Amino acid sequence: FYCTQRQRRSGSRCTHSSFRPPPFIFLGNQTSLNLFAFTVSGKKLQSFRSAERPQAMASSTIASPSASFIPTKKELGRSAFSPASSPFSVPKCRKSISKKIVSVMAPQQSERKPAATGSVKTAMTMTEKILARASEKTHLSPGENVWVDVDILMTHDVCGPGSIGIFKKEFGQNAKVWDREKIVIIPDHYIFTNDERANRNVDILRDFCAEQNIKYFYDIQDRGNFKANPDYKGVCHIALAQEGHCRPGEVLLGTDSHTCTAGAFGQFATGIGNTDAGFVMGAGKLLLKVPPTLRFVMDGEMPDYILAKDLILQIIGEISVAGATYKSMEFVGSTVESLNMEERMTLCNMVVEAGGKNGVVPADSTTFKYLEDKTSLPYEPVYSDQQARFLSEYRFDISKLEPIVAKPHSPDNRALARECKDVKIDRVYIGSCTGGKTEDFMAAAKLFVASGYKKVKVPTFLVPATQKVWMDVYSLPVPGSGGKTCSQIFEEVGCDTPASPSCGACLGGPKDTYARMNEPKVCVSTTNRNFPGRMGHKEGEIYLASPYTAAASALTGYVTDPRDFLQ
Amino acid sequence: MAVSYSSSLSSFAAAAFSETKASIAPASSQAVRFASISSARPFIAPLTSNSTVLRNRRASFVTPRAAAESHSSPTSFHGLCYVVGDNIDTDQIIPAEYLTLVPSNPAEYEKLGSYALIGLPASYEKRFIEPNETKTKYSIVIGGENFGCGSSREHAPVALGAAGVAAVVAQSYARIFFRNSVATGEVYPLESEVRVCEECRTGDVITIELGESRLINHTTGKEYKLQPIGDAGPVIEAGGIFAYARKTGMIPQSA
Repeated sequence: FYCTQRQRRSGSRCTHSSFRPPPFIFLGNQTSLNLFAFTVSGKKLQSFRSAERPQAMASSTIASPSASFIPTKKELGRSAFSPASSPFSVPKCRKSISKKIVSVMAPQQSERKPAATGSVKTAMTMTEKILARASEKTHLSPGENVWVDVDILMTHDVCGPGSIGIFKKEFGQNAKVWDREKIVIIPDHYIFTNDERANRNVDILRDFCAEQNIKYFYDIQDRGNFKANPDYKGVCHIALAQEGHCRPGEVLLGTDSHTCTAGAFGQFATGIGNTDAGFVMGAGKLLLKVPPTLRFVMDGEMPDYILAKDLILQIIGEISVAGATYKSMEFVGSTVESLNMEERMTLCNMVVEAGGKNGVVPADSTTFKYLEDKTSLPYEPVYSDQQARFLSEYRFDISKLEPIVAKPHSPDNRALARECKDVKIDRVYIGSCTGGKTEDFMAAAKLFVASGYKKVKVPTFLVPATQKVWMDVYSLPVPGSGGKTCSQIFEEVGCDTPASPSCGACLGGPKDTYARMNEPKVCVSTTNRNFPGRMGHKEGEIYLASPYTAAASALTGYVTDPRDFLQ
Repeated sequence: MAVSYSSSLSSFAAAAFSETKASIAPASSQAVRFASISSARPFIAPLTSNSTVLRNRRASFVTPRAAAESHSSPTSFHGLCYVVGDNIDTDQIIPAEYLTLVPSNPAEYEKLGSYALIGLPASYEKRFIEPNETKTKYSIVIGGENFGCGSSREHAPVALGAAGVAAVVAQSYARIFFRNSVATGEVYPLESEVRVCEECRTGDVITIELGESRLINHTTGKEYKLQPIGDAGPVIEAGGIFAYARKTGMIPQSA
């Protein structure tokens, strides 16, 4: 029932135990238009169509008020990985699923921690609570369509001009944005290029920001020297975090699919298109459908060759690229709590690759510490209630995880890195919102140090996400290196010089983009997508991997398990 | 007559759904006038002689509200289909290098259309758009699971619509693509119940009876049930969410 579609096609059996789902209620029909508040009328009792399909999710039971269910916490075995018998075979489903059935409509016990939103009559998940507060409701359930106040709207050079065009067309050429302090405009995609249209698009942003007196516009004018632009940041999702625009409990929308990255801060963050963004620019609100939540519980001590990228690749490989469609992904557990903010961002970043609407990590001391020097605006975190209902719960024992890659051409084409050791590669790319943060470069540098400063065997491209990351790469000492910086280590092992911060070649871009794949090559990349043509050339083969795996692969010229150097 | 946007927003909300009862706080911006839809979305002429496509929804985009009531909703699409597989992501629909084109710019909108589905790998022998053409001869795209996954770029449904696609029939959609299709009104994102992508071949002659939620493949003689488009239909027919809101009086047209 939980096997991925891929496994079903290959005929391999799912090894986890199956169970009969209790009668369920259809929680959302795409054709009922998630976009606008058209009621899911007449669909409520329709059986979940995708029950025939392998990646169907059993929905939570919604019993009549008189019935109540006892919470069960079944641990359906470990997620220990057993070695596949043949190379390149797809790992069997090994995650354990426990279906948590919770009491419904029960009056809350007084010893339960009150939600930040005030008195809550019925339990809600984090995502439901955030949307409830933003829509001024006391309670929300998945499937409800609500008008949500937006705290931050982000756009960049690719989608900004289009959104601005729609805003002006629909609200008027002289209309003013709803709040000049809540729109953050971050050129980052096609910056260091001679493409005239790309350059023009940044000009369009500038003109709009001047006209609207937009407070946060991270402009760049001198493309020849990024350091000459004091306001310029780089990759929008990292810039949002570093500039203190991500705050627990808030609603952040952005014209980019990886806006879900900000969920790492315990907020609702998701990607929208130009039309929706144009609407928000004028209205400051958007109609959103409340998603049900999938819960991912990760426990166990994180092995020192595993990074958050491995965690999320593992999850996506498990549930497939559509496994979280229209759903929220909540990441909890001791392993998650041990992650720093950048690692949590990596985790949430690829929620969209599973089809997810948003990802969330509960805010804690790590979050608050990170935010201390970044924002002075007040914020109020929210947390899932004990009795909140989740669509499904997945449990992972991370201590048993091995380094993972996603093979061409899909983020859910999961394999063990060590199973791919015969794959010869042409290049390595370390960059993007997913894998171009300070922690990501630190990890790569640490591996190079551990290897004894072996030289890389293939061109290794480094693209720091933001100016701040670039500076960290050039100034922070790498543990275990005797005080060397990442940049020194990278130079010593023969990597390319770290490039100007931007999205770079993660998505190909104009033909003159640094590190763009203009010929069919095999690349190990710390980026987020590997569909055909993603980095430029349609026949290019991209293996998505963690910075450790990418660095290890650079040293051998083959896809390499980082344990070869870290242990 | 300038009407406060906030109050019309409330009525929009109230009219649109019965579940929410909250009143909507006034937007912090001042009352705004709405520009009438002066720049018409280009009317896509019927395609090659092999197919005719009803594009009533485009025509309705420029009619004033009163006249809109008299036009009939599109009940069918007829044309050739182009079949793709599962997980067709936005990079295949419109590769990133073309994202410098701004969809709200009419000339660039057309250009976007000329690049629709150009990212498909070479295994797709029949190209979606012929090398010297800017429009496609396939008005219906048939896909598998998770159509439109990947980026949130609205350029994806826009490129398809600009190229001349009337409807996509897929087994399932990625959410942002679905939402963008409706918000822009560019294509009807229809859902099939079975894997129509395995039963149809590129070039088959197709009719979609929208009102009956039916797809007919004239080449094979088979028929398929589609999921009803539901409330998304009128939004797309009106030309997208803004046009719909204006057409139905939820947002006032400016005087």
